Amino acid sequence: MVVATAGSVPQAPDALHTETLAMMHAIDMANRQGISRIVPATDFPPRSGTLVFEGEQLSRMGIAKEEDPMGIKNHQDAVEVMEMKVAKFSRGKAANLANLRDKKLKGQLTGKEKLIGLSAKAAAQTEKWFLPIEGGYLEPEGFEKTYRYDQQSIVQEVDISSSKKPFDMILPVLGPYTFEYTSNGRYMIVGGRKGHIAMMDMLNMDLIKEFQVRETVRDVAFLHNDQLFAVAQKKYPYIYNRHGTEIHCLKEHGKALKLQFLEKHFLLASINSFGQLHYQDMSTGEMIANYRTGLGRTDVMRVNPYNAVIGLGHAGGKVTMWKPTSVKPLVTMLCHNGPVTAVAFDRGGHLMATAGVDRKIKIWDMRKYEVVHSYPARAQSLDFSQKGLLAGSNGSLVEIYRDCGGQDYKLYMKHRMVKGYQVGKVLFRPYEDICGIGHSMGLSAILVPGSGEANFDTFVDNPVETAKQRREKEVQALLSKLQPETIMLNPNMIGSVRQPKKKEKKTKKEIEEEIEDAVDAAKNTRVKKKTKGRSKPSKRAKKMEEVVLRAKRPLLDQYKEIEGQPDKKQRVGEKTELPKALQRFAKKGQS
Amino acid sequence: MAGPKPKPKERTKALAPRASRGGRRGGRGGAGKSGERRSHGPHLPNKLRRELESLAPARDRGSDSDDEDDVVGEDVYEYEEGVPEEEARKNDRYDAVKTYEYDFDSDGSNADEDVPSDEGEDMEEDDDGDDDEEKQIRILKETTGMPREAFDGGKKKKQQQAQELPLQPGGGPVTIHDLMDDIQDKPGYSKIRKRVQQQEKKPMVVQAPMPKVKRDLLDRAATYKVHRHDISKWEGLVKSNREATTLYFENDLDLGQSTVGAIASKFEPRSTFEKQMAEVLRSTEIMEAHKNDGAKILELNKVDVEDVRERQNRLAKMRSLLFRHEMKAKRVKKIKSRTYHRLLKKDKRKASSADLEADPEAAEESAMKQEFKRAEERMTLKHKNNSKWAKRILKRGLSVQDEGTRDAITAQLQRHALLTRKMNSIKNDSSSSDESSDDDDEDDDGSNFEAKLLNKGKEKIRKVVEEDNAIPKSGVFSLPFMERAMKKRADATYEETRLDYEELEQSLRKLEDGNTEENVDSIKVTGKRTFGPVKRTHAEANKRPKLGDADSNSDSGYDSDCGQHFDSSEENKKADYANNKADDVQLGTALLDDEQQNDLFISFDDARKSPRTKTEIEVGILADNSWKKVKSSKANGDHNKKESKNKSKVQIPSAVDPNAQQLHNSDSDPEEEMVDGFLTIPDEKENYKLPSQADLIRQAFAADDVEAEFENDKLEALNEENPEPEEPALVPGWGQWTDIQQKKGLPSWMVKEHEDAKRKREEALKRRKDAKLKNVIISEHVDKKAEKLLATNLPFPYTSKDVYENSIRMPLGPDFNPAISLSALNRPAIVKKPGVVIKPIQYEEINPHEKPDEPRRVIQRAKPNPSLKKTSAKQAKRTTSHPRN
Repeated sequence: MVVATAGSVPQAPDALHTETLAMMHAIDMANRQGISRIVPATDFPPRSGTLVFEGEQLSRMGIAKEEDPMGIKNHQDAVEVMEMKVAKFSRGKAANLANLRDKKLKGQLTGKEKLIGLSAKAAAQTEKWFLPIEGGYLEPEGFEKTYRYDQQSIVQEVDISSSKKPFDMILPVLGPYTFEYTSNGRYMIVGGRKGHIAMMDMLNMDLIKEFQVRETVRDVAFLHNDQLFAVAQKKYPYIYNRHGTEIHCLKEHGKALKLQFLEKHFLLASINSFGQLHYQDMSTGEMIANYRTGLGRTDVMRVNPYNAVIGLGHAGGKVTMWKPTSVKPLVTMLCHNGPVTAVAFDRGGHLMATAGVDRKIKIWDMRKYEVVHSYPARAQSLDFSQKGLLAGSNGSLVEIYRDCGGQDYKLYMKHRMVKGYQVGKVLFRPYEDICGIGHSMGLSAILVPGSGEANFDTFVDNPVETAKQRREKEVQALLSKLQPETIMLNPNMIGSVRQPKKKEKKTKKEIEEEIEDAVDAAKNTRVKKKTKGRSKPSKRAKKMEEVVLRAKRPLLDQYKEIEGQPDKKQRVGEKTELPKALQRFAKKGQS
Repeated sequence: MAGPKPKPKERTKALAPRASRGGRRGGRGGAGKSGERRSHGPHLPNKLRRELESLAPARDRGSDSDDEDDVVGEDVYEYEEGVPEEEARKNDRYDAVKTYEYDFDSDGSNADEDVPSDEGEDMEEDDDGDDDEEKQIRILKETTGMPREAFDGGKKKKQQQAQELPLQPGGGPVTIHDLMDDIQDKPGYSKIRKRVQQQEKKPMVVQAPMPKVKRDLLDRAATYKVHRHDISKWEGLVKSNREATTLYFENDLDLGQSTVGAIASKFEPRSTFEKQMAEVLRSTEIMEAHKNDGAKILELNKVDVEDVRERQNRLAKMRSLLFRHEMKAKRVKKIKSRTYHRLLKKDKRKASSADLEADPEAAEESAMKQEFKRAEERMTLKHKNNSKWAKRILKRGLSVQDEGTRDAITAQLQRHALLTRKMNSIKNDSSSSDESSDDDDEDDDGSNFEAKLLNKGKEKIRKVVEEDNAIPKSGVFSLPFMERAMKKRADATYEETRLDYEELEQSLRKLEDGNTEENVDSIKVTGKRTFGPVKRTHAEANKRPKLGDADSNSDSGYDSDCGQHFDSSEENKKADYANNKADDVQLGTALLDDEQQNDLFISFDDARKSPRTKTEIEVGILADNSWKKVKSSKANGDHNKKESKNKSKVQIPSAVDPNAQQLHNSDSDPEEEMVDGFLTIPDEKENYKLPSQADLIRQAFAADDVEAEFENDKLEALNEENPEPEEPALVPGWGQWTDIQQKKGLPSWMVKEHEDAKRKREEALKRRKDAKLKNVIISEHVDKKAEKLLATNLPFPYTSKDVYENSIRMPLGPDFNPAISLSALNRPAIVKKPGVVIKPIQYEEINPHEKPDEPRRVIQRAKPNPSLKKTSAKQAKRTTSHPRN
């Protein structure tokens, strides 16, 4: 067996160095265990999606590597990889500029494309050189299965710093526990059902603050950083700061069952016991939206990290997607033949996993709204890791699935808690190979190699950020806060040309044109020659006038609807003093 | 002159038929060509016309003979005398000829040369005239029979006159030779003759000049040919400017000399005054004087170097000291921390107290001050929960308040206590004269001292009570109502003193009882006093005696109000708390929040230090005594297991002992129902049950017919977004007059309309995104708020949506772009400093096909490029304007 863990957050500035050290250690350990072959992680060409391979694939690749002369092919590979990365960062191809007729535009666009290419290249290079840490993985040998490894054996294989991370915290009194990590994975807020709130620094395993609220705690959620967190209590959600001081009581939310914070938008979303969905802006305190789902009580709520759309799972087997500016759900999907027990979204936003009472876990493609795969399994809670592993809990069993290509999720790891423990929540810790488990007797964390993002971008999330950095980030985040209306199913729509609307009202110009056409048509109609002086020119002229007027009338009415009667109004306003020399020419009435 | 003389006759003749013709025309009445005629003047009746003709023949006399006949006849009175073309010089034809002839002319006899040509023309004219005259003469001769000479005389005369004018009488046109004969003996003649001969040998044909329009055309064509290249050379420049994503406009800066000295050095006196001034200033005397003076001043300036240095150093030192002090003050002033200021104040006070010790006078003064403060405090009772704020809070109950408020109340009370207590100490100091001996031996034993104090108080009270009994028997106080009042008051005081006395005694007894509880309390007296729900404990019960204890020396009226507040609410619980005192002690410490946390830290630290595979970390669960109990009861059991468990997987919690369970239940009556959901009480997890029957039923039947339900929902949603068209119906009574109408049914147009609407709806449904997804409803609702984030129509230069949307695919922010392309992607189209005037384009060599990475920089020179011709710049102004202007 080979185990490599990534995301061991470097404590020293030279991340690379510590990482290599850690890896050396892992190799050393493996050697001592008498393991035949060790494949250090960095030997593999980096592949964006799946860094972790199944046994056969891996061995094949390993052998291929050994046979390769370190020559041209390597170089070619590197070039290819580079190209792939550049393609990834240039976000699709440029439109065909050759067909453009406007030379100026063409020139400008070519210039822009060039710059975009530069950007993409620079990003690719950055990824290559500055994000060198590879994800970890479990590699079985022979007939071994990865899900047969228990935590103990894994812990023995990994480096010391990683081996310290898993823990079991037994807190039997204050009830089933729920918890939440900050987006950088550093802090954890723990909520015991019976009012136990504690905040911990997971990097140093320090307790920062703990206190008792002496009421039911249903859910906890961090706001934008570790300084504030929201707790859904017996009657209302409350906001506390890091020192446990109550900052706000959000009475409008009512008896909230679940809380979710939308980081980019600074919105706290909650679903309460009446099935009402609330959005509140945490920067201004403004209540953004309050919608009745009308689908009953539910405590299954998750934010899609890609587009900040909120997914709710309902008792009727439906999953609904909500945004703060729409009264009706954007999408309603019938996912299960029974109540939905859990919903989780992939980081890319295109995959959704749902679990229902009907003993099924389904993987959905959110672009097509179709089931990709359906597995016969139960889950009380689901969570996708940063690298796309899917964790599900069932009773006291925690199972972790992994994508084996084509969104086909296979069992990757299994972890059985002590019999009788009821797992309430599983959650992967960001930037760590750790899966947190909140259960009826406390909290646990297990090692799941390959679950966390190994390289962190300090501008996005910094697990080792200083107070100053945190403050700066807070200001930045507030400055770049997104408005609630930017939440939509496809956020790439912003800025694009909107679909032409169905015709509602004609514009003034259109009506004028129509009137002209109608008048022309009316004038062109031939008038019958009539006898006995009825075709006298005067009569004919009169008749013609009438015909024209009749043709005009309906259109004139429309015109009035739009314009009112502008002419007369204008005349009233137009009264101006004539110069003295011209006054004698003015009509007497005007004075 | 002779020319025009015969003309009047001729004119009258010519006019006569014309007039008659006109008369005829007038009779016809405006038809035919009348259009053009009308425009010339008012239409006159024939009679008037004739009259006019008869009246004013002379007016027409001036009309020129060159006009054609019909033109002459047209207008009778609106005639304007036309100027001949040659005279008006409307076109240059005649000029050109003139100049040509001018070339021959060397002597400047211009007038002479003109003569023959004029003559020629006149001759022609005369020829015509001659013909007429011949005729006339012939007619006259025939009619009169007189000889021809009689009539011809006038003409002859005229001819003679004409012949006299030219220099040569010999007839024929005057040639250059004729002219040259006259100057034969003049100097330069041979030269002229030579030239003339040359001229004659090679005769030059002069062609008529071209019309101006044509000439101009040719001119332009030629110019174009020449300048075509001049213009096309701009193309590259203009193209590159147009296609550049960014244009920088920069002035070519020539800073030159701009100092005052530089300007002054160039100064040249110009006006007389300036010159005078300059003369005076530059005179040697003045200069000398200036020099001398300056030297004197310098002499005065001589100071010892050492002195200067010293002074400077001193100054610098002072300045730096001042500056440092200032900076420090600033920094200190900026500090907002309350703790810091408190500490600062404390330090100050300490310093001042140190002073006091040294200086007895100051000590006295401060003592007075303190005394005053104390008196004030006692009078106002400012810190005894008398303020509006404190009252309000107490009214609402302290248990409801948050921690901060409680702290504030405590602090206030503490302050009060402090003030009063201090008084005692100082009083002791001041009045130590009589008791000093006692005090000295009392100091070593605190409890003894207290007891003594208490005893003293008791004695005093007794004395007062005994004294007070005496009632004056005379004066106002002997009045019966006064007496009654006095008695009442005496009773009250007695009651009070009695209470105090009892209290004192009680405390005395307690003192004797033991120190255990006292210790707890004494800690509290000095330490932080906390209120609120956490404090609803036995500690509160101890409070009253304790407070009384502390205050007994001061005055009896003083008591803790807030303490009473709690007591009343907690009284009924006292009994419960009384029996588990031990817990309370534990709780008291827990309240301080120290031990618990330390415990935790240690456990975490352990976890960190020892690289166990499984670390067992217990989050200390607060000041919950039940948890404590569980822990303590578990402790011994767990400890012996621990070693074995380090290797094994997970720690199994031992069963919670019944005692803890009981406690847990007792103190969490409100928490009983709060635990819902499937993970209820952890103790019962073996027989884990689904929450409730109702929930079970709901869960069981929720999935009963989910699909049908969903189908219904979808139908509803569809109908809401694309409503079904209404069934066509006639207004009752309409179209039902006869059977026939009824049988016909609805009118065809109605049916058609309905069909159309239906079809439309179906199409709309087909177009929906969820048309093919059976189990999905995708809302087609247009979000108006989000609509504003989309472009209403394609932005200007773009013609295709694809290109536009592709061009905005890349984010522009610093999070997504490296620094190299970030600024380039976000640069405005024109970069220009304020104040820079954008000048007309200037020529520079540019390769239009070259695409530089750098943005275009248009450097505007103050003067146009000297290497360029001026014409090109001018040309530029004329032909092309700046692309961005």
